[in-house]
Amino acid sequence: MMTAKSIGAANAQPVDPITLEVVCEGLIAIVKEMRATIIRASYSSVIYEFDDFSCALFGPEGEMVAQSWDHPGHVLPLPWGVRCALDDFRGDLKPGDAILLNDPYRGGTHLNDVTLVYPLFDEAGRLIIFPAVRAHWVDVGGMVPGSYSGLSSNIYQEGVRIPPIKIFEAGRPNRAAMSLLMANMRVPEEREGDLNASFGACKVAENRIRKLIAKYGQETVMAAVAINLDRTERRLREKIAELPDGDYYYEDYLEFYNEGRLDPVLARIKLTVAGDQIIADFAGTNPQVPGVVNSSLAVAGAGVFVAIKSTLDPGGAVNHGAFRPITLKAPEASIFDVRQDAPAGAHGEVRKRGVSVALGALAQIMPERISGDLCGSSFPNAIGGYNKRRQRQYVYYEAPAGGNGGFLEADGSSAYVNVDFGNLPSIHNVEALENEMPIFVERCVLRTDGGGEGQRRGGVGMQREVRLLDAEGSYSVLSDRAVLPPWGVLGAGSGKPYHVSVRRDNEVIEFDTPGKVTGYPVRRDDVVVMRSSGGGGYGDPLEREPARVKTDLDFGYVSAERARDGYGVVFTPAGEVDEAATKALRGKLQAGRFRLTIKADDALDPYVGAKGKRRMLDLSAADAAKLGVAADDLVELRGRNPAPLRAWVRVAGNGRQGQVPLDEFGRKVLGVKNRESVVVMKLGMPPMPKAMAR
Amino acid sequence: MQWVGVDVGGTFTDAVVYDDAKRAFRYAKAPSTPGDPTGGVLDVLDRLQLDMDQVERFVHGVTIGTNAVLEGKGATVWMLTTAGFRDVMEIARTNRPVLYNIKSLKTPPLVPRTRTYEVDERMLYDGSIKRPLDEAELRRTLARMPTGPNDALAICFLHSYANPAHERAAKRAVEASNPGWFVCTSAEVLPQFREYDRFSTTVLNAYLGPLMANYLDRLQAGLAAKRYRRDVYIMTSNGGVSTVERAKRLPIGTVLSGPAGGVAASIHLGRLLGRPNLITCDMGGTSTDVCLIEGLRVPVTNEQSIAGYSNRTPQIEINAVGAGGGSIAWLDAGGILNVGPQSAGAAPGPACYGRGGTEPTVTDANLVLGRLDPGNRLAGRIALDPELAMAAIRRLGERLLGLGDHALAEGIVRIAVARMVSAIKQISISNGFDPRDFTLLAYGGAGPMHAVAIAEELEMRSILVPLGPGNFAAFGSLISDLRRDYAQTRTLQLRETTWAEVEATFARIEAEARESLRGEGVPAERIVTRRSAGMRYLGQSWELSVEVPPAIASLPALEAAFGEVHDRRFGHKSGGNMEVVSFRVAAIGEVAKPSLPDWTVGGTLVDALQARRPVFFAGAFADAPVYQRDRLPKAARIGGPAVIEESGSTTVLPVGWHASVLQYGDLLVERGET
Repeated sequence: MMTAKSIGAANAQPVDPITLEVVCEGLIAIVKEMRATIIRASYSSVIYEFDDFSCALFGPEGEMVAQSWDHPGHVLPLPWGVRCALDDFRGDLKPGDAILLNDPYRGGTHLNDVTLVYPLFDEAGRLIIFPAVRAHWVDVGGMVPGSYSGLSSNIYQEGVRIPPIKIFEAGRPNRAAMSLLMANMRVPEEREGDLNASFGACKVAENRIRKLIAKYGQETVMAAVAINLDRTERRLREKIAELPDGDYYYEDYLEFYNEGRLDPVLARIKLTVAGDQIIADFAGTNPQVPGVVNSSLAVAGAGVFVAIKSTLDPGGAVNHGAFRPITLKAPEASIFDVRQDAPAGAHGEVRKRGVSVALGALAQIMPERISGDLCGSSFPNAIGGYNKRRQRQYVYYEAPAGGNGGFLEADGSSAYVNVDFGNLPSIHNVEALENEMPIFVERCVLRTDGGGEGQRRGGVGMQREVRLLDAEGSYSVLSDRAVLPPWGVLGAGSGKPYHVSVRRDNEVIEFDTPGKVTGYPVRRDDVVVMRSSGGGGYGDPLEREPARVKTDLDFGYVSAERARDGYGVVFTPAGEVDEAATKALRGKLQAGRFRLTIKADDALDPYVGAKGKRRMLDLSAADAAKLGVAADDLVELRGRNPAPLRAWVRVAGNGRQGQVPLDEFGRKVLGVKNRESVVVMKLGMPPMPKAMAR
Repeated sequence: MQWVGVDVGGTFTDAVVYDDAKRAFRYAKAPSTPGDPTGGVLDVLDRLQLDMDQVERFVHGVTIGTNAVLEGKGATVWMLTTAGFRDVMEIARTNRPVLYNIKSLKTPPLVPRTRTYEVDERMLYDGSIKRPLDEAELRRTLARMPTGPNDALAICFLHSYANPAHERAAKRAVEASNPGWFVCTSAEVLPQFREYDRFSTTVLNAYLGPLMANYLDRLQAGLAAKRYRRDVYIMTSNGGVSTVERAKRLPIGTVLSGPAGGVAASIHLGRLLGRPNLITCDMGGTSTDVCLIEGLRVPVTNEQSIAGYSNRTPQIEINAVGAGGGSIAWLDAGGILNVGPQSAGAAPGPACYGRGGTEPTVTDANLVLGRLDPGNRLAGRIALDPELAMAAIRRLGERLLGLGDHALAEGIVRIAVARMVSAIKQISISNGFDPRDFTLLAYGGAGPMHAVAIAEELEMRSILVPLGPGNFAAFGSLISDLRRDYAQTRTLQLRETTWAEVEATFARIEAEARESLRGEGVPAERIVTRRSAGMRYLGQSWELSVEVPPAIASLPALEAAFGEVHDRRFGHKSGGNMEVVSFRVAAIGEVAKPSLPDWTVGGTLVDALQARRPVFFAGAFADAPVYQRDRLPKAARIGGPAVIEESGSTTVLPVGWHASVLQYGDLLVERGET
């Protein structure tokens, strides 16, 4: 994937194992030093408090040779940006040049992530190992403070786009470019500070890299790097080789609103294991749409990489060697390979959906190593305005973490950032926030019943309520999984989806486009209520040990109703598990599951949508009535494969009772053949004032 | 008059006695008794045959708190908190310290939500009361908490740093309803903003409270039975000492009690020898602690955690790395040679101990390389078997083709050294310090053996090896001052305040600090206070610590000082508005220091030469003289290659380095031939 060619490991000179470790550790230490510099010098609190940045070192071909404790969502797409920078200026790079970029169409992620690439040369003018930094600037212009907008329809609304440009030329800043950028961003003096921080980190790296090379020699260092990448590659290849060869399919959605109507867009994967390599092909994925659900292949691919690495080979090094066994493909100008001029702000959501579809496919190969779906959105909430008390503009920004999927050994953790995130907090300390901004935090609690029920439960999300103390402000949120909940595996339930609303006096204001709000005017004493999603469960909830359900009840993770209806656990009046009644109820719930028989129909195109594509499921009127669903209700099919298939109901007049037609792709997702039966479950959807898009 | 310092380690309990009249030190060692460390402490005092009646000062480094947290053996803690915020401890900061592992889990809170009870009350950031405390509801809540007699309670309300009235009222109610309980409030443990960190620190304090009180009670009783009549002092994490009463109330302040002694000793030695800038390297059996000391000041931080739990009490900035003499060398799945963090510990110990250990450790490698003497008994008890060591190394070498046994042994040592070097880089280079501007101070049993290799990697020019490197931490506890760190969160925008306001805030904290120390018998003239302010530009969210000496006595001077610190740390400053967010005062009650006796050994180097043996350096064996440290004549100079042995430690000098005996017997190791 993501790879330029290998750096000539075959002709590399041997390096003794000790020097090898010292050089490789030395490179990682340089990245750590860069990180420390960034944290100390940045102005965007997102960078220095939320750690929303990454640093890495690259080889002459743009391959990532070292990184450290860096946000996977940032650092994994970074080589793509570096390669674009090198391609654009190949033959035209001089010592002292530094390239700035944030273009999502050219190796960037979202516009807020601004990348600085700082090529280094030896005396002969050849590229040597060099640093790059990607950091989240808190504002890059666009139509709302913070530049995050859930309802943009083109990239120009999202902020300033920077294709690879030389921001420093031979060590001299490009004043014209700088002025132009700063004139189009909010609080420009802080942005200039952010840029200086990145540049400072690169200078620090230059000094250290040159010293390392002076000490060990250019050839030894490059040979050590080559060996290190090769062994990282080999390690992952060995793990992949243990998997059964084959093609594995999955599909999922992102939530797009076409003219205010829900018009889900399809994310599809064919994941091929062939010997010691994996090919992730997004063929069939939705064409890009004028909404915030698109991103680059670098970003979607980062999701796939995270899913593979963190299930198959946790603990191994992450550098370019780990990328080599993985190849990525996506249709051009699709939601996973965005092109001009579609919005690209949804990098967090696209990355997470990349994780979801890869997990859904990997679950078919190694169910013991995966988890239920993650909470599924990065959930950036922003309120902007003028703070009267402190007499300055402010951007309140929080992204309350959701739950994680349950897995074989344990329940998923609650309110804990997902594995595609770095080691970063998602909320402020209340006491710092209330002091700095006109915000009063009413409550911050875990969401009862938020986690997908399962033999191992999904972690729960949180509910965070913030009251505006100033006269007016502007609220925006960009999330996904606000309609389609994160799925469980192996018969487990879904996590409760994201939800935002505004409480005004005694009224609750719901949004017509759940999870996607741009610049909603909030006023004094309005309370923004943010609820983050739970993770999907793992395994049949009716198999969960009743004692664990009791603990969940005691802890308030699960309500009494859910304990009874979801887990089939009955308690005595004294609050103890009633074993006999539990057994009986579980038997009844098990028997009551609604099953339909698959009728293979390969001529069927199950998808409809305006600009999106969503799977429809034709149910007979009688089956729809039995299941308690109507047209456009969301259902989930559970087959032999661990992860489920989602679809919207179409009540077919001529449908045959007890039977449901399914195309080949759908059958592959579920792992079922013609005439086999599947369980069909109704999934709730938030109320939609407008009908779904056609 | 005699002073006694006792340091409890994982394997041994060390004691140092200083006799004021004779100006002499004595040392003793006893096996530690992990179940109840009192046994080891009393045992080591017996071995010293001390008349405790004559002991003026007894100082103790405790590890009981650290171990209780690491092993999860603290009290059952309950928590009272502000309505709406029951989940602060469980939600925590939501960050994920382990990357690329879908199965990594959040650290479960020490207080689960089932033991967390909400109380109707709410303060604001400025200390004003948004909702008064509902005391009737509080009493009902207390009545229905199903608590046990040895449990502890943490009272943690939002914004209590700004106004502790509600927490205090709640504490009074608890003391009335549950007398005998260990109760602490967040404002008394850490009156600073950022609730997660304050609550976490408070919960840790409650978690350790009953245990520490119990231990210190037993210790006091044991000492009293030996007719010790003075105060018992405990080493605290900030590098000072506190009274036993305070340690009982604030046990969280002792979690770095162990390493604090070594750092205190380092500062003392640095002052005596005129070396104000030190990087200390305390290498023991399982781990190595490194610490950077600039200008003889204790580097205090309040941004650390223990076992995944935030602990914001002021503590010396130690970087610990899991590499020590007992660290095991192993190959990972990718065939990469690693050293540690697994350790052979005291049992079975390194392969060469002959106690059943089969995996090669750093100690085995040093033995194979001739750097350790097979005849030298570590701590006087354990014989070392070079053949067992070699066999262990060979077994590993079979899987690492093409590397000779000695090259592999040297490689193991180099990797252990690389890990320590990396730890030192983190505290030096990563924080803007150049290690070449510092002297490496190597102690702990294994420190002096690896010091030169570390210094070479970091291009450091000089190394100090103190006398008795194995007892250095216990010595440190002897000479430590009483120290209290006070911090108060209070936000003052400089353009809206006056210097008088700033001055008054500092003065109020200082008065409290002085009174507290005087209450513990420190005479007024022995009390020194140092001010600092946590400051930032408006709009930043992390503050920088700015020292506020008496010379800074106006707002412009304070602004200039902040600008300077900001520029030095971050490479730039601006004309932006500033604010103070916290006021900090360190109060120090100075104690008299023992004066070190001069090194008076006479004779010549030849008298100190006890053997010659082949020692492996840089790929080959070289014949090296072995000296006995306690017989080195004063002002002697020794060129490498050489080995200097003493009880419990060995200093290794390769070619290109030499050592000199300093005034008090410490070794100065420097680059260059003799």
